[in-house]
Amino acid sequence: MRRFSRMAGAVALGIALFGAASVVRAQEVLKIGAIGSLSGGGTAWGLATQRGAQMAIDEVNAAGGLKVGDKTYKPTLVMVDDQYTATGGRTAAQRLMTLEKAKFILGPVGAPVVLATISVTNPGRTIVLSDGYSDAVLKNAAHAAYNFRIMDSETEFARAMIQWLHRTQPQLKSVALISPNDATGQSVVPVLKRLYEENGFKVYTEMFDRGMQEFTPLLTRMMEQKPDLFDLNANSPGDAGLLVKQARQVGFKGVIWKVGGPAMPEIQSIAGDLAEGVMAYDQFDFSTPAGQKFAAEYHKRWSGTINAETPIWYNATKLLLEAIRRAGTTTDVDKVRDAVAHLDGYDAGVFGPLVWGGMADYGVDHQLELPFVISQIKGGKIVTLVKIQPEKR
Amino acid sequence: MFSATLLGQVLVNGLSLSAIYVLVALGFTLLFGIMRVVNFSHGAFAMLGGYALFLLYGKWHLPYLLAVPLAALGVAALAMVLEYLVFRWFYQKMMQSMIGLLGLNMALVYSAVLLWDVYERSIPPAITTLISVGGVLLPADRLTVVAIAIVALGAFWLFMTRTRFGLAMRAASQDVETAEAQGMDTAALYRMAFFIAIFLTALAGGLYAQTYSLSPFMGDRPLIVAFVVVILGGMGSIPGAALGGVLLGFSESFVSTFYGSAVSSFASFGIVILLLIFRPWGLLGTKEAMRA
Repeated sequence: MRRFSRMAGAVALGIALFGAASVVRAQEVLKIGAIGSLSGGGTAWGLATQRGAQMAIDEVNAAGGLKVGDKTYKPTLVMVDDQYTATGGRTAAQRLMTLEKAKFILGPVGAPVVLATISVTNPGRTIVLSDGYSDAVLKNAAHAAYNFRIMDSETEFARAMIQWLHRTQPQLKSVALISPNDATGQSVVPVLKRLYEENGFKVYTEMFDRGMQEFTPLLTRMMEQKPDLFDLNANSPGDAGLLVKQARQVGFKGVIWKVGGPAMPEIQSIAGDLAEGVMAYDQFDFSTPAGQKFAAEYHKRWSGTINAETPIWYNATKLLLEAIRRAGTTTDVDKVRDAVAHLDGYDAGVFGPLVWGGMADYGVDHQLELPFVISQIKGGKIVTLVKIQPEKR
Repeated sequence: MFSATLLGQVLVNGLSLSAIYVLVALGFTLLFGIMRVVNFSHGAFAMLGGYALFLLYGKWHLPYLLAVPLAALGVAALAMVLEYLVFRWFYQKMMQSMIGLLGLNMALVYSAVLLWDVYERSIPPAITTLISVGGVLLPADRLTVVAIAIVALGAFWLFMTRTRFGLAMRAASQDVETAEAQGMDTAALYRMAFFIAIFLTALAGGLYAQTYSLSPFMGDRPLIVAFVVVILGGMGSIPGAALGGVLLGFSESFVSTFYGSAVSSFASFGIVILLLIFRPWGLLGTKEAMRA
């Protein structure tokens, strides 16, 4: 009897191991590359890329993996640091393509890094879902053959924001733009200048070297132009907070807003009471039920402020995995690319149904037109003023 | 454009900038002046000073005038471990210290990333009042920094010129072998100089983080500023650091306001390059200090 039970135990163990082996075999690993800044000035964005993507991948794996054709894959994130430099982005892309054999890459963030990355990935037929404000990200020699932009750039949200401001506060006639003197600033300022001028604003611009923290001389100079409106545009969240604080400290009493990457928590944290009344573009509304659910999931794993790019990367990862599923292949990159481009209407649960656009501005429909909100600091709290869906162009 | 109010505002901006720049450069120039160490981890100690002030004042709400020196003292005390493990190997080794301490800087910055994450925080100002004098705005928090900088500079100058320890440090900085031959314990003197240098750096870092913002990467700018200031004033020269800080602060304020940021950067670094060519020992430095 004892011998029988030992044999039965061995057989049961064998079946269990065989079963486990079958599961392992059925769950082939699907490498999803990711490029982001895990060191250097853009680290907050890199962490948002990593965490947003990981949340989406874990969700898919918890539901049993990604079914592609008759196979079930286990998507796995392979993250590489770009150090927020163009060289770092290029090297990271080459490593993912050659060493990791990744066919799909999430990230990077920041125009210089993205441009360096896609210069390698487009000829290498690797799909890249990235975020960089420069028009050249989509309007390039390769006609953005394999790269997509998965969040609104200045071109998408600035037009809608400036039109909204002109409509709601027609007394504002002049605007000052103080911007970093780098690829981002140089690509953003002409776009904003044109859009403000189209809406009848007189525009004053000033540029500074990234890394500068003492803006009072520049702001004193700006004050002499007597602008009604001060736009924080493409400044990093920390610089935006300092600009608000120092602008109020040198006596600027006009309207301050930010037509550029989201920065409200940082502006409020750094400028304190002086941030009262500031308005800004915000990528994501955490006060909605979908936003609260996302934040709750995030806080199960990480503490602190959620960078507003995190849900964007969650959304991008979900759409990529859905495209792979619909394409029915993990190896035919062209099929997956076409599936990504035809995902209009797909809802990953955070932004609502997806809309691709961009043909009018970039000659290719590889621009995700995400709804966004304009927030304002009122009574020490960040409140949503209006939700806007950019027009499909 | 040249109105009296504007000129007044430019002067106020220049004064506040100068105070921060002088404070930031003091610790840096002291380490070089006495031990011939080019402290590339200067920015990291400033950053640690920022986090210490954030904890003591921003989180635990200690009285401000107590939190400011306590934060700097805490960082300086903890830094003594690094003095024993790292710094003492680089005394009187200028070139080696640059590379070694650059590594230490990276280790400290990324330890801070692991401990406190990368998000930019702010340290609440002690006073938020804006004083208006004839149309010129004086933010009270900036005036506090100016006052602290004057007190720190004055106390430090008195220590170096009116105490036996200060005299001994100056003697060791001029000729370490002769100082030892006279019976001075240079190892103890170096430890004391290191403690004071890190105290001043952490004090500057706390005020810098409070004036601007706090993050693990905040030290880059203070390091650059410290370099420019001490090159202007003279490596190792305390009065030179004061003069360099004041010159840089006021010139930045004037040139940026009237000619823009690009011209200001061009002028600051242009002057530094010219100085390095024609007077590499700086305005108040000595040729001997550069040769050591």
